[in-house]
Amino acid sequence: MDEEPRPEQLWSEAVDLRAKVASLTAQLTEEHKMASIGRLLAGIVHEINSPIGAILSNNQVIIRSLEMVGKAIAGGDAAALEKAGRIVETCQSLVAIDKIACERISEVVRGLKTFARVDSSDLRKVDLNEHLQNTLKLTHGEFHRRIQVETDFGDLPPVECHAQMLNQVFLNILVNAGQAIEGEGKIAVRTRREGDDVEVSISDTGRGIKPEDRSKILAGGFTTKAVGVGTGLGLAISKKIVEETHGGSLSFESEVGVGTTFHIRIPIEQVKTAAS
Amino acid sequence: MGTNEKASVLIVDDEEMVITSVRAYLQLETDYEIHGFTQPEQAIKHMESNQVDIAVSDYLMPKISGIQFLARAKQLQPEASRVLLTGHADKQSAIQAINDVGLYQYVEKPWENAQLLLIIQNGIERAKLLRELREKVSELDTAHSSLKNVQKRLLQAFL
Repeated sequence: MDEEPRPEQLWSEAVDLRAKVASLTAQLTEEHKMASIGRLLAGIVHEINSPIGAILSNNQVIIRSLEMVGKAIAGGDAAALEKAGRIVETCQSLVAIDKIACERISEVVRGLKTFARVDSSDLRKVDLNEHLQNTLKLTHGEFHRRIQVETDFGDLPPVECHAQMLNQVFLNILVNAGQAIEGEGKIAVRTRREGDDVEVSISDTGRGIKPEDRSKILAGGFTTKAVGVGTGLGLAISKKIVEETHGGSLSFESEVGVGTTFHIRIPIEQVKTAAS
Repeated sequence: MGTNEKASVLIVDDEEMVITSVRAYLQLETDYEIHGFTQPEQAIKHMESNQVDIAVSDYLMPKISGIQFLARAKQLQPEASRVLLTGHADKQSAIQAINDVGLYQYVEKPWENAQLLLIIQNGIERAKLLRELREKVSELDTAHSSLKNVQKRLLQAFL
């Protein structure tokens, strides 16, 4: 017996579906974030391994050196003491290196922390320059041997936003910029206050986007990258985060063979709406 | 060159901290002569005019990669042992390095001092043996050709 579904029933099904889509979208966004980090992982690991290697090695050398110095002091003859003095100098330089090495590791960890999963509904006022700086630390391992990164940070007021999500947008665009550059190149990150908005511009000296691809790149499911390199979702997710979640705008200009610039515009204050 | 000469170790890494740490350790444990370079180009220059027993190189460096550097090192001094010391978690680079430049050892960062020392000691030993072998072979060649000469003269004298 075919009964026409009642309007109330259709309505409740539609509401269910909407909730399901919202939760799937959130999941996809989260997964994409992890995929972006995963792609940078080799660089991040490389970034951490050198300082850890140095610290471990120095630690051993310092332990041995202290033993030698201790013996020299106990023995007390002039030649041994002179040698002990040289050993102490070496140790001092190694300790200084350990400090630099620890700072390097902390920087990378700080960058990673900005991506740690937190409640993404968390709307806070943040210093976007600081967040950009931390996100750049994550790309350092991947970039610094071939890409020069220039930052030009303007004076910004605290921006009310979902910082984790915006970091994902910045990382996305930075990774794209890095992939667009073959061999050596430059990426410039600039921030400015523009009236009631803040604008972040990320420029690269990469290969540029072909005119026929320009209308497609912000839509989901389009990629020019090899399988396993790009998901074709990064910019679609970024656009959603910037425009739907923050009421901002995401745009770009590009010239083939010269480079691409992305502009991310975010209102300083979020408009309070009833919609969730 | 005598075998009592100090062994020469070359360390190439764009991170000064790695060079300083390895150098401090080797100076404590050995009497090797240690040459550290943050730029592979300078290391190549060094190898053009100085004998090296072992070259330890980072993988990811600006301009010239560790593999490119070690390939050049192989051309310049084939007997010198080549070691890649890398923090890059990438097996493909390891395989490529082993195939392309005939790597003696592949060491991952963070490295273990005792293991690195053993590799360096063995690598130096290997380089010295290879050089000795080359000298012996050339001595053998000379001896062989002078023997041939003598034989020829003997034959000429009797025929």
